[in-house]
Amino acid sequence: MEFPGVLFPSYFGCGPPKDEGGPAPAAGWGERGKVLEAGPGQRQVLPPLVPLRGHEGESWAPAEAAAVPLLPPNMGCWVPTVTPRDILYHGILHRKLRTGRSGAALDFAKQLGHFFVDHPEDAFSSLGRLLHKNFHLGDSRLRKRSVRDTTIRMTSLVENINHMEARRGCPQHQFTSRLRLFSHLCRDWLFEVPLGLLADCVHEELLLQWTSLLFDDSSTGGALAWLPPQDASSRVGRLVYPGGLAMNHLYFQDVVLEEQPRARGLPVQFELNGRIWQVAATRVDGQDFVGVRSDYHCGVWRMPGKTGAAPSPLQVIHTDVPASCLTVSPYLSGELSVCTQSGAVYLWNIETGLQRLRHDPQTLFFRDHSPWRWSDFTAHPRVLSCADRTGILCLDARAPTSCHFDFFKVGEEAKCEQGERVVLPMYLGRAHPCQHLVATQFAIYLLDERLPLVPVLKWSHMMKAPPLFADIVPGESGRSHKALLGTSHTQELLLLQYTGGSQKACQLAGPPQQLHSIASCLPHLPTQLPHQHHLLHQRLSIPAAGLAAVQHEQGQQESLLVFQLSEAGDVFYQMLRHEAALSPVPDQGDEAEPAPNPNKEDEAAAPPSSPILFGSEEEEQEEEEEQTFYLSNLEVIINDEEEEEEGVVATPAATEEPEPQASPKSVPDVPSAPAALRYRRWLRALLQAWMGSPASSCRSGPPTLSQRRLFTRKELSEMAPSVLQQYQLQLRQAMRKRGRIQRWEPAPEPPGPPPSLEPNALSARLTAAWRGEWGAVGPAGSTLQRQQALRERRRRQKRSRAHRSLSASFTSSITYQSELSELSEGGTPRTPPATPREVAVSSPPGTPPPPPTEILLSSQELRSRGIPKERRRTLRDYLSVWAEGPQDPPEAPSSITVQRCIPSSQSQLSSSQSQLSSASQPRRKRPRMGF
Amino acid sequence: MDALQVGSALQPALHLPFLPRHLYRAASSNERRLNFWRSKELCLNYIQDALLRKQWKRAAEFLTSYIESLEKDFSTEYMGPSEIIWRVGTEILCNHSPSNVREFNSFIEQMKTLGVKRYLKVCLEHAFHLLCNGRIDEAYQNLSLAESWRFGERTVTQDKEMKLIQAYRGLLDYYSWSNKKNILLEYEKDGFEDMSVEQEMHGFFRKAAVNLKEIIKIPGVWDLFVKSYVDLLEFYGDHQEAREVLTDYAYNSKFPANPNAHVYLYQFLKRHGAPKKSLISALKILHDIVPSHELMIDFNTMLQKSKKRKRRRLGLEVIFAVLDYAGWKKNVKAWSCLARQVKQIVISEKHLDWIKQEWNSRKDWWPAFHFSRYLAKSNWQENERLSYEKALVAGVLLGKDCKYFKYVSHHGCKAQVKKFRTLKKFVNKHSSAYLSISGL
Repeated sequence: MEFPGVLFPSYFGCGPPKDEGGPAPAAGWGERGKVLEAGPGQRQVLPPLVPLRGHEGESWAPAEAAAVPLLPPNMGCWVPTVTPRDILYHGILHRKLRTGRSGAALDFAKQLGHFFVDHPEDAFSSLGRLLHKNFHLGDSRLRKRSVRDTTIRMTSLVENINHMEARRGCPQHQFTSRLRLFSHLCRDWLFEVPLGLLADCVHEELLLQWTSLLFDDSSTGGALAWLPPQDASSRVGRLVYPGGLAMNHLYFQDVVLEEQPRARGLPVQFELNGRIWQVAATRVDGQDFVGVRSDYHCGVWRMPGKTGAAPSPLQVIHTDVPASCLTVSPYLSGELSVCTQSGAVYLWNIETGLQRLRHDPQTLFFRDHSPWRWSDFTAHPRVLSCADRTGILCLDARAPTSCHFDFFKVGEEAKCEQGERVVLPMYLGRAHPCQHLVATQFAIYLLDERLPLVPVLKWSHMMKAPPLFADIVPGESGRSHKALLGTSHTQELLLLQYTGGSQKACQLAGPPQQLHSIASCLPHLPTQLPHQHHLLHQRLSIPAAGLAAVQHEQGQQESLLVFQLSEAGDVFYQMLRHEAALSPVPDQGDEAEPAPNPNKEDEAAAPPSSPILFGSEEEEQEEEEEQTFYLSNLEVIINDEEEEEEGVVATPAATEEPEPQASPKSVPDVPSAPAALRYRRWLRALLQAWMGSPASSCRSGPPTLSQRRLFTRKELSEMAPSVLQQYQLQLRQAMRKRGRIQRWEPAPEPPGPPPSLEPNALSARLTAAWRGEWGAVGPAGSTLQRQQALRERRRRQKRSRAHRSLSASFTSSITYQSELSELSEGGTPRTPPATPREVAVSSPPGTPPPPPTEILLSSQELRSRGIPKERRRTLRDYLSVWAEGPQDPPEAPSSITVQRCIPSSQSQLSSSQSQLSSASQPRRKRPRMGF
Repeated sequence: MDALQVGSALQPALHLPFLPRHLYRAASSNERRLNFWRSKELCLNYIQDALLRKQWKRAAEFLTSYIESLEKDFSTEYMGPSEIIWRVGTEILCNHSPSNVREFNSFIEQMKTLGVKRYLKVCLEHAFHLLCNGRIDEAYQNLSLAESWRFGERTVTQDKEMKLIQAYRGLLDYYSWSNKKNILLEYEKDGFEDMSVEQEMHGFFRKAAVNLKEIIKIPGVWDLFVKSYVDLLEFYGDHQEAREVLTDYAYNSKFPANPNAHVYLYQFLKRHGAPKKSLISALKILHDIVPSHELMIDFNTMLQKSKKRKRRRLGLEVIFAVLDYAGWKKNVKAWSCLARQVKQIVISEKHLDWIKQEWNSRKDWWPAFHFSRYLAKSNWQENERLSYEKALVAGVLLGKDCKYFKYVSHHGCKAQVKKFRTLKKFVNKHSSAYLSISGL
């Protein structure tokens, strides 16, 4: 326990922090801090001087291109996290918020609306029951006079509401006076819970949600812990992490440290009755003690030193106020410290019970409203540190009221900035018995207990969010200690190295290094269909919930393994390899391109000893097959709402906020074969689980579509009611049987005049709409749509002309090609393709060859079919568009009659070239305006 | 009023450095300046990202684009683009081409002209860089140049920076002085004198002393400067002044509780043969502020040798306190100190109450902390001597049935080591001591 003989010079002052501006975006760079002589100077030679920062550190290079999943995805967790869009009005936050001048507007009216719609029984039951006789919602007029006197017709009101809903978010929209009147009239009596009260409650809850969205401290400390191997020879450690539906299951998973870490066997599992926020673990006398904190319960588990022994729960305590901290003593077995949000600090011994050391609802050094408290152990087993947002105090558990000293103050003592607050204190006993790490939202401080109040090291970490998780990998025999800092929402992960503490003063070694976030693996996963990509993106960018790091040696190669946990319960890892100092720190951007791994999809490329992640070897062989099966068996999910979301689905990559990704040439570009295999397995497991989850079924149900938007009243009334009824009947039957609508038996032809085209078009559109392709069909529509069709037609004409002149004999296939290329030019397809299978069925063999389209195109023919004049042109354009594509493939034996169904050319297309169909179809499904 | 409250509640619980990216989209209709601001910010993000991934070259490319932001620097922020450029540029140059000092110098010279407020800081950092690269003379020139800089009224920060510049210049003067001193000492050995060297040396002394004296008056951690200044004073025989300086550095309440200040004072007193009483009082204060300091072992030895009962009592207190700390857990020296004193007391059978008092506050956790069976096993395997000393203490404090003592003495006897046998005999003989300590 030596104390450095000479410390780096620094000023010392007291009082509140000086107002010197504020957080700076690049404050951590470029400074040397101070300099100090490295050692006793020899005679005649000046002592070499070393800087506080900028000293050379060890070089650790990431071994993979991104974080790699360690365990299969946490199956249960599908509850989407709250987004700002859910609770903010218009979802736009202005820059002002950054400066703190104005807040965001909470859209609690929307939430109230959701409540009324989702729980009408709770909202209106009694009055609804009383009044339902007096409200009429049907279309028909009220006949009876007696009824008419006591009943109000609400249809138009409902229509008004619907219209308003459709224009939601439109800045121009105005409330109709009728709605206003109605709401004014019934505001006081209609609701089960008084509206004002309910709104207050909702608003309060929204405020809480919003503040937790900005900064949530409940996961401070992290819920991932690594229990190192029992002895040096064994390579099996244990990972402790939460999972399950509500993150309320505690898992102990054996992990073998090899070339790539892998899980061994099934995890030991405990179900708890609360969401796990923090998992803390230390080893005392060869036994691991694991403390688990949820809101109102804290528990402790013991992991016996013997290998293969199962963890056993020891004790649980219940708190009235949510606990905010749980740390495990590294000295005495079964001793922990607990803090609650009421400001109480307890020393919890399994044998002797709880001892309250301190209870003070006020903060330590100045007033701060946060109820967050933290406590940790120090170099003295009886002295605990107690922290809140304003600083840290150390107190002796034997005489907590009289024996204490100030350890860290947010103020001039540590040269803090205004608004700076303690976010995460951590005892670094494994690196040096006297050192503590204190992280604020701006900087990290390294403190030595022997020199309180003056940080021995300070560095602005420049992270975008306050670091909530940290871990330390002690460096032995004079090597640098590695500190890892992690943030929650932004998933940032920073590796810092520092040296010193005993003989020499502490120095920051080397520049800080950013490690991969969980979301970084998104581009390395196999390409997905847009909605799955969206799901994946959502899943991977869920806030982080914990981190753990371990250093181990693989032969001569030292590696640093970093585990990350996401709030969804997924565990990822990344490996860093130590590079022995060769030359000055290499510029990684300058290095030659890393060896690419072109056949990463190739199973054979995996080394024979490649670890098996989640399955047997047979599965591995089936992999390829199943992969394609997945792709072909996708359901088409088209959802109204999703489309309104400014094309989140459309081009997932493009609409994302451009995250700074300045690293197209980072160390390895492509995941290694084992990593790629893990990606695919993880993805497969995730998608499989998702398909079976209630979340997917409620989202991927048949597209709901308002008829009103599809057909005008006039269109519907033009049709013979009997035909309409027939179709409705068929539709219902098909729905009941869950069959395909396209298999309809052709309706018995009404005798007499040839069927008009109108019902045909209607049926076709109905069909297509039912299959989720309404965007593709329809000659009738707005002018915009017509223009689009026209433009498209011209383009296609041009193209096909050019192609034809090249080689007329390949017309058809070339057209497909051009379609494909068009597809790729036009960006990602907006909607996923329909399954080829479904389409293939739609072409019953043996139908007569199609009549030449020219017949349809002539105006006489159109007139004879009773098509209004203004529509003829559109129809002609439309038909000619379709006629051009597969001009006349004479060899195509199977094609459907155009007579029955206009988009038959489409089915023709797909049947003749089924392998291309999945690619060529989306073009036609591009949703158009005006429907 | 309500709106006001709501507004404040909408603020984050913590003043966040950057509003999380996922929380905002670009404000829709704002003027061009905002776009410029955004692209500037984006560019900075790219730079940051490249730096954090150690892609220095790439970061440099982005930085060249970022320099454009200087043209429209409307910012009133504390850290404007020019400071960012200085910081980032320095970082890139330090890491990308660490040996190319000329390039670095030319970059820094340009940076010095960019901002008046930052001039001193840039100068200081420049000097640090040169010093770390062993270019003492250049650094000295830089510091002198910075010292002569005048620009209006200085802010508090600038004042501090200026003092630091002067102090570092003083430190360099001190280094030159000690160089000259060494030369002179060698000359003296050889038996001839050189007046010019001597005069130069005195010149350096004056320059160094003035500057160093200045900074150590200000509260702070000035180990380096204090040491140098005291060395100067001692050489010229001004012990009184040196002592005052050290006493002030150690005991001035405006200064932080720096253990080194007490160590320097103690060493100074020891060098100059101060009476034992003052040495002990110096160490007593160190013991009060840092009970785990490594000097406490010396302190304990000193106290044990003393004839005064009070001091021996203090010695026991000191050594017990040292062993409270996790860092001393496996230290043989500390344990042998305690074992020796405990043995002494037990043999003399006087002052068993001292041990009892010390033990009272520790008996509920020392057994688990120091004397568990697991520790007995690992201590025995790793360090036989440590386990011997600890077993002696355990035997006295916890009796012969204590797990630690039993394990170690058993294995020691089995391994035919003589001292363990005597240890066993000793503990058995003095089992009455255990009884009186534990209060049975």
